[in-house]
Amino acid sequence: LSPQPVNMAGVGFRRWAQALSKGKGSGISALLSGCRAASGASKDGLPGPYPTTPDEKAAAAKKYNMRVEDYEPYPNNGEGYGDYPKLPDRSQHERDPWYQWDHPDLRRNWGEPMHWNFDMFIRNRVDTSPSPVSWSTMCKQLFGFIGFMLFMFYVGEKIPAYQPVAPKQYPYNNLYLERGGDPEKQPEEVKNYEI
Amino acid sequence: MGAHLGRRYVTETGTEPDPARKYEFDPQFGFPERNEREMVASQEQMNLAQLPLEQRDYCAQYLLKLMKCKRDNWPNFLACKHERHDWDYCEHQDYVMRMKEYERERRLQLRKKRVEAQAEAA
Repeated sequence: LSPQPVNMAGVGFRRWAQALSKGKGSGISALLSGCRAASGASKDGLPGPYPTTPDEKAAAAKKYNMRVEDYEPYPNNGEGYGDYPKLPDRSQHERDPWYQWDHPDLRRNWGEPMHWNFDMFIRNRVDTSPSPVSWSTMCKQLFGFIGFMLFMFYVGEKIPAYQPVAPKQYPYNNLYLERGGDPEKQPEEVKNYEI
Repeated sequence: MGAHLGRRYVTETGTEPDPARKYEFDPQFGFPERNEREMVASQEQMNLAQLPLEQRDYCAQYLLKLMKCKRDNWPNFLACKHERHDWDYCEHQDYVMRMKEYERERRLQLRKKRVEAQAEAA
């Protein structure tokens, strides 16, 4: 027997009208539904205080869907993490791109414990994937190149390369007026000869 | 001229004229008489043509002729070959004069060095 297609909105409306007519609560609470969606955390799914005993640790691990061996809370130094698990600082870039995640964009499965800084580690933001070359090699190459170029520019200033020609000769006392010289003052006489 | 300039740059550091320094010898030295360079285009003409400073040299009159020719013959951009050649030749001669000035300075430096060496030997 295949179920007949029903209009779920209509079913919902009918049930709501029946609950209203039963008259359980009064005022606004009579109109509201008595149940919540499954997407939010349940009351005992929220983080709690720092776990001290092994029992508390096991309960916390179970709450966050982790194995007891994997569960490690943040150090209890007053920063306010409570029993939230300390996960490795690896961004979502490092996760397998080919695996069929529940949320492919976030590369995360439903119910998986989220890093404290999960919103920082999404694929649009901070990337902790390893660089092709080690950090020290990158630093050496970059600063080595920049240092070498600066050194060569300095050498070029001290020992310039030039064509074996005299400076170009300009008329009118080396263009005294054109270069903004004072028309009242007498400029330095510059005579240019043929050769 | 036509020397091996790299070798000279390294071995003759004392006598090669330095582009940063002014040339120290009297322009008339060694010449019985020397003509002054003649500037044909006036300052007013160059101002009206709005020539940039680098182009206000001793070849400006040819450049002004070329600009006039180009403006008169637009859109025929192939028209002003003769004027362009005149300007280019003038600039070429100017560059050759610069090379000669450099070489003169260099030879005078060498001569000065020789004279000083003789004076010391004597």
